[in-house]
Amino acid sequence: MKILVCIKQVPDMESKFKIDAGGTWYEKTDLAWRMNEYDEYAVEQAVQLKEQVKDADLTVLCIGGDQVKETIKKALAMGCDRGAHIADDDSSSKEPFEKAGIIAEYAKDKGFDLIFTGMQSQDKGSAQVGILAAEILGMMSVSTIVDFSYSDGVASLKRELEGGVKACVTASTPLVVTCQLGLNTPRYPTLPNIMKAKRKELLSLPVADLLKVDSRQETAKIYFPEKKGGGLVLEGEVAELADKLVKILKEKTGVLA
Amino acid sequence: MEFTRDIYWNVGHGAWTLIPMYLLAAGAFYVLVKAFVKRVAVYRLGLPLERTDQPGVRLRRMFARMLSQKKVIRVQWPGLLHGLFFWGFGLLFIGTVLIVIQADFTDLFFGVKFLKGSFYKIFSIVLDLAGFVCIVMLGGLLVRRYFFPPEGLETKKDDAIMHAILLVILVTGFVIEGARMAVTELGTPLAAWSPVGLVIANGMSGIGEQSLLGLHKGTWWLHLFLVMGFFVLIPFTKFRHILTTSANYFFEDLGPRGKLVNIDLEDEDAETFGAAVLKEMTWKDIFDADACTLCKRCQDRCPAYNTGKPLSPMKLVNQIGEAAFTSPDANLIELIGKDVLWSCTTCRACEEICPASIEHVSKIVELRRSMVLMEGDFPGEEVMSAMEAAEVNGNPLGIGYAERGEWAEKLGIKSLAEDSEVDALYFVGCYGSFDRRNIAVAESFVKLCQTAGVKLGILGKEEKCCGEPMRKMGNEYLYQSLAVENIERINSYGVKKIVTTCPHCYNTLAKDYRDLDLDVEVITYTVFLENLIKSGELKINAEDISCTYHDSCYLGRYNDIYDAPRSLIAAAGGTLVEMGKNREESFCCSAGGGRIMAEEKIGERINIERVKMAVETGADVLLSNCPFCLTMFEDGVKGAEVEEQLRPRDIAELLVDRIEYTNPGKREKK
Amino acid sequence: MKILLVAEYRDKKLLGSCNELIAFSDQMDCESVMCLVGSESDLPRFNGTLYLADVENYGEYNPDAHKQFVLDVVEKEQADMVVFSHSSYGWDLAPRVAFAMKAAQVSEVVEVVDGIPVVPVCNAKLRRDVHVKTEQSVVTIQAGAFGLSEDPTGTPTVEKIAGDTAGRVDFIGYEQAESGGVDLGKAQIIVSAGRGIGKPENVGMIANLAKVLGGEYGASRPVVDSEWVEHNRQVGTTGQTVTPKLYVACGISGAIQHLAGMKKSEFIVAVNTDKDAPIGEVADVLIVADLKQFIPALTEKIQSL
Repeated sequence: MKILVCIKQVPDMESKFKIDAGGTWYEKTDLAWRMNEYDEYAVEQAVQLKEQVKDADLTVLCIGGDQVKETIKKALAMGCDRGAHIADDDSSSKEPFEKAGIIAEYAKDKGFDLIFTGMQSQDKGSAQVGILAAEILGMMSVSTIVDFSYSDGVASLKRELEGGVKACVTASTPLVVTCQLGLNTPRYPTLPNIMKAKRKELLSLPVADLLKVDSRQETAKIYFPEKKGGGLVLEGEVAELADKLVKILKEKTGVLA
Repeated sequence: MEFTRDIYWNVGHGAWTLIPMYLLAAGAFYVLVKAFVKRVAVYRLGLPLERTDQPGVRLRRMFARMLSQKKVIRVQWPGLLHGLFFWGFGLLFIGTVLIVIQADFTDLFFGVKFLKGSFYKIFSIVLDLAGFVCIVMLGGLLVRRYFFPPEGLETKKDDAIMHAILLVILVTGFVIEGARMAVTELGTPLAAWSPVGLVIANGMSGIGEQSLLGLHKGTWWLHLFLVMGFFVLIPFTKFRHILTTSANYFFEDLGPRGKLVNIDLEDEDAETFGAAVLKEMTWKDIFDADACTLCKRCQDRCPAYNTGKPLSPMKLVNQIGEAAFTSPDANLIELIGKDVLWSCTTCRACEEICPASIEHVSKIVELRRSMVLMEGDFPGEEVMSAMEAAEVNGNPLGIGYAERGEWAEKLGIKSLAEDSEVDALYFVGCYGSFDRRNIAVAESFVKLCQTAGVKLGILGKEEKCCGEPMRKMGNEYLYQSLAVENIERINSYGVKKIVTTCPHCYNTLAKDYRDLDLDVEVITYTVFLENLIKSGELKINAEDISCTYHDSCYLGRYNDIYDAPRSLIAAAGGTLVEMGKNREESFCCSAGGGRIMAEEKIGERINIERVKMAVETGADVLLSNCPFCLTMFEDGVKGAEVEEQLRPRDIAELLVDRIEYTNPGKREKK
Repeated sequence: MKILLVAEYRDKKLLGSCNELIAFSDQMDCESVMCLVGSESDLPRFNGTLYLADVENYGEYNPDAHKQFVLDVVEKEQADMVVFSHSSYGWDLAPRVAFAMKAAQVSEVVEVVDGIPVVPVCNAKLRRDVHVKTEQSVVTIQAGAFGLSEDPTGTPTVEKIAGDTAGRVDFIGYEQAESGGVDLGKAQIIVSAGRGIGKPENVGMIANLAKVLGGEYGASRPVVDSEWVEHNRQVGTTGQTVTPKLYVACGISGAIQHLAGMKKSEFIVAVNTDKDAPIGEVADVLIVADLKQFIPALTEKIQSL
């Protein structure tokens, strides 16, 4: 069985962001980087599937500059067999369709039975790449899964819907699935696996070789939203305060609308 | 009259005595040695560990500890009983050896007798009293164990045999003496030099001489058999501690206290890390169980055990030994239990008090290393998250690393990257950098230094967690990653002196980091400030405040720093009311051993117990010297609902309120 | 410009998100039509043409079939923009439609300024304007971003459509949410109790406010430790990390472990008698008052709305 898991390196969301010189993305200095949280669940599920099927080869793919290799190594330490680094120093200016195109171009001749990705990235949150890649490849896709099991070419999945409801579906491979938080508990890489990961294959491919589609959109400008009455301190009579707060909640949040 | 006695009187000094006697002795020793050789084979199931270097130092230590019984007597009840028993028995043993030397060698071959005259008088009275003291002490220990056992004391069949055989040996000794004196010494001036024997002899005076001779001879042989039996029992019962506990003094760790063994992560051939089975523990880990006498002093002081957690340091040590002898392939983690292993706060109360110099903490950490490094197992998801946060942002709180030095900006403290010409690097630590309550402490420390004219620098966003909580939890890999980064930065700035306000950072930088090539002097803020006050660079106004003081585990037991903080409190004018459990007996706040990252799910909250102890002193303020303790106490006073009565503060905060400015107008009061 | 709104019908119910779609189109102020795989018995109150495919034939959501249906309507109406909710339906279906249309998809739009869609970046810490290069576009709109102040009224002109219902995913059934287990991580509104509530009896007023706001109640660590509230309601680094739209912290001073668990909330209200409580640093509004008086007053006020 051949499995692919696509991951992204994102900044830790605790970081304080600044706008870059071009005004179209966040400044990359002073940021801590990590694997996109949704992708952690994807990697874990892919590794669990490999452990179940036993005769499976699992590739982890990541687009970005040299620094993303650290994140690929973490995926290797979690249990992936080989890494495919799509070398692209300008990955942050690529839009979902281009990314999907790159992935599809990489995957098209490799016969993957299952492709796992996170359902969205923590920074951009477009939630499109997984499904777009599937569409380009002509593969079926199921998004937002919180449960996965596999047997004999059929995946049984549960999609997370609003209100805590789950939709149970089945689909045959080849299949793309996008993973929601809570799908599993991503394992902490053991030290022997971290050491083995250093010796696993990690190939770098130039993005130019794989980018065969044109971009369909771009970021015109990035900026900080205006503070929603930040840090307002209110004192006074309890009844008055209650009135004031209700008004603020109506205006500033969707609550009490 | 000659002050001496005929050694083999009535028993006979011929072959019919000597041959069976020496054969028995040889036989007993043979059994003893053979049994120990077998035990040594079991110790060797464990990995090698160098503990025989500097043999001169080791031997001196061993004899000093053995003979002084200092560690045993430290807990006077029942330590003093054992001490006196030990010395008494020791004297009796020496006495017997002297007798053998004279009777079977110097007298037999050279006709030399030394047990005579004044020497014999002293010999006689000393041994008499020693024997008596031994019986009384042994009696006391027996009564304690069987009639007034303290909670948690386990009594086994082993104990009954030991008490019985020793008691009978001692009593038969006096019966022999009494019988002999009844026949040979009554009415002579020599009798007074065996006062106890005299009493017994008088009591036997009604018995006819023939019966006395028979009684004497029979009891003599019984006594001999029992003593040989005692030697044989040594390897098979707790008696073995006579040899193993003494040996454990020899095998003590001569290195810095509480420093863990570094794992070589460069070793490409290493397949396992940490220990899950016996062959991955060291021989010392198995040997420690043999040195243990189940005195339960460790258990009595363990903060986990005393708040309902399943951890008993004593039990853990013995489970390892037991496994070595009965099921050497057992998985120790399953055997001991994960909850047991995760409960430890590495406070070292167990090791501090252990009279047998057993090392409990390193065993627990070694087993934790296996759980973390080989299985990715943690006490809870919150700990895994904290570890991941430390990987990503260099602190377990998960706050963006770029903000780490921001707290210092308004005080004018620069990072070394901006200005590396400083008197000392202030290694702030994660809580001092990010936690509001502890930032106040860092600010206080900085103000004190600035007042004293000390120029500090910080690493700021280049500083990472010292890695200690991760290391104690077993995550050696993450610890070394963090440490190596810190050390590289520190060395690159040519830092000459580091000062810390966190005892965990202090202990780690001063000891653990030496294995990773940090050679810089590290000093804790309490000593640093004490020096500034002593030299007059920092002046503090004394202003009375009723307070109590908590000795943190990592300044106290790990580093013996008990006096410097107290001198600071005195300089500040504090009226210090000590808690019952202070100094070496201080009761951990619960956050050590990496548990600052974990939730306390079992039993009662350790920090609330400690806060209650502080409240009992009636003091207004609970002073501490550690950000973990301060955090735990702030939580604890809320939990114990004593916020109105007791206020947790750090010593630095106390001092900063009392700075004597040379310019009186600058005085600030809080 | 013509907009096609795609509404969702699930498990025998029309989803309320269709009203938000209508609000969006009102704001865009241009011709719009709607499509829905649903039922005549539960129609959106949309003033316009509604292309209705019968859920009896289509069954529950099947991506291939729904994609084909939407594309058929796009073709028929020559729609310039297709609008979905940014929901489990929208983010699953929109990219398929966008791909087939060779159109750009802009996800989670929070506002449209001069025709330019604006979307959040990095947990809403930032925003970006998106420049769409393709003629047609697909957008998904953030729930509540284009909220309505009143329910729409309207009657759609229904045009029934039937299409290819084939698909490569088999629907088995729905699994309802478990009752009893509270998952604060998914709650949109949380009211939390801190030590300042004073005694366990006061947890009630916190839970009550939460109920009245339509959310869940949580607590800070000391409250859970004192066992006034069960452990799965603890917010903080050793409890749960939450990201609700509204977080009301009552009598919580703001120890760092608690802040770490809730500061990603979109809007934070703190109620505390201490003006300098650390929670003030993350709160959008700090009410300096005794919560034991303020919370009941607030609850009453909201109930009377």
